[in-house]
Amino acid sequence: MKSPVAAFVAFVIGAIVLVGYFIPAAPLQAIRTPILDWAIVLAGFAGLVAILNLIFGVHIKRIREKTPRQGFSWLVVISFFVVFIAGVILGPTNPNVQNVVTYIQFPIEASLMAVLAITLAYASLKFLQRQRNWMGIVFFVATLFFLVVNSGILSFSSNIPVLRTLVSAAHQLPVGGARGILLGIALGSLATGIRILIGADRPYNN
Amino acid sequence: MNIDVIWTLISLVLTLFIFSYLFGDNPVFRIATGIFVGAAAGYFAVVIIYQVILPHLVVPLIQGSILALFPLILSGLLLTKLSPRLGRLGNVSMAVLVGSGAAIAIGGAALGTIFGQVRAAIDAFGSQANTSGTSPLLLGVEGLFLLAGTVTALAYFNFGGKEQAGQAPARVAISAWLSGIGKFFIALTFGAIFAGVLTAGLTALVERADFVIRTISTLITG
Repeated sequence: MKSPVAAFVAFVIGAIVLVGYFIPAAPLQAIRTPILDWAIVLAGFAGLVAILNLIFGVHIKRIREKTPRQGFSWLVVISFFVVFIAGVILGPTNPNVQNVVTYIQFPIEASLMAVLAITLAYASLKFLQRQRNWMGIVFFVATLFFLVVNSGILSFSSNIPVLRTLVSAAHQLPVGGARGILLGIALGSLATGIRILIGADRPYNN
Repeated sequence: MNIDVIWTLISLVLTLFIFSYLFGDNPVFRIATGIFVGAAAGYFAVVIIYQVILPHLVVPLIQGSILALFPLILSGLLLTKLSPRLGRLGNVSMAVLVGSGAAIAIGGAALGTIFGQVRAAIDAFGSQANTSGTSPLLLGVEGLFLLAGTVTALAYFNFGGKEQAGQAPARVAISAWLSGIGKFFIALTFGAIFAGVLTAGLTALVERADFVIRTISTLITG
């Protein structure tokens, strides 16, 4: 069932925050600033709810139900509680807690990024094999070209005026398309935001 | 054994576990991702508590701020979202979050992206001619090229079409023509973005490979 109260709250809160962007009147800002503070606290709580749901709603549930992959859920739960309890007691800036970031999170993230590079290179070759149309070829040629440009192999061009101009022009090639994509995303965000504010979309309702 | 050596060994083992994915999905890879998910979730929860909830909610409450009662109540209601039965009570909290988020998204899209990018598209036609020393003609050509890329890429995202009897809706001729050119610019842009991601990934690969080789050689040589 749609809740008119929630829709009204979303509209009023959204209108105050949005109008505050364009009208910097002191009384309006006096209402807007605490509302934004509430939104920050709620966003934090929403993050906590998501984490609690991940741990209790997914992994502890898997352990209780003794699913075949419960061993990995044990790892998630144990590593969560070890880091969480140590972090709450010592604080996130404590060097021992920071070691979790330096020696666990960073190496895994960097390694995943490295594996991603190999996977993406393989996938792009597969993509070219399957999509032998002109768009696929433009994509592939552009990828190779910008890999060469990004590699810094053309850094000697800074001493040759013609080459310098060509390399500089090459950097401008994707800007037009990127601007179009960015504007498309912004127009999409604008339309979605307005639909939420006027209540046409109500993602907050259960 | 030095504690730093133990941490470095943990780091080495986790790196090798992740690299094992190159031979396909396997239990060793899932062990590393399981530890990563748990540790990241734990650290993220601690950061939320210390950087958001304590300074924005608990400290104002201790100082006697009545206004802080609102986010306290709303946060309490939000926690009901964990229960399928009581979840509806959290709708108002979600409405506050989504309403302010939507307004921020609208403001950011309008003021940050749309105005900024339109301004940049105009500036490309030569406002920097005096400062950079580039000829106005060259800047004009470059500006036109960029504008063509922007307009045609935008045209590609217009999926509206004319209804035709017995046939699937089709784009208007001018829209189809523009979107055809837009496809070229989008492919070019995605190629450049993909090259950037690959470059970042390869940099990470070189860094990790260097770390593995250095650590193993240090362990062997002592």
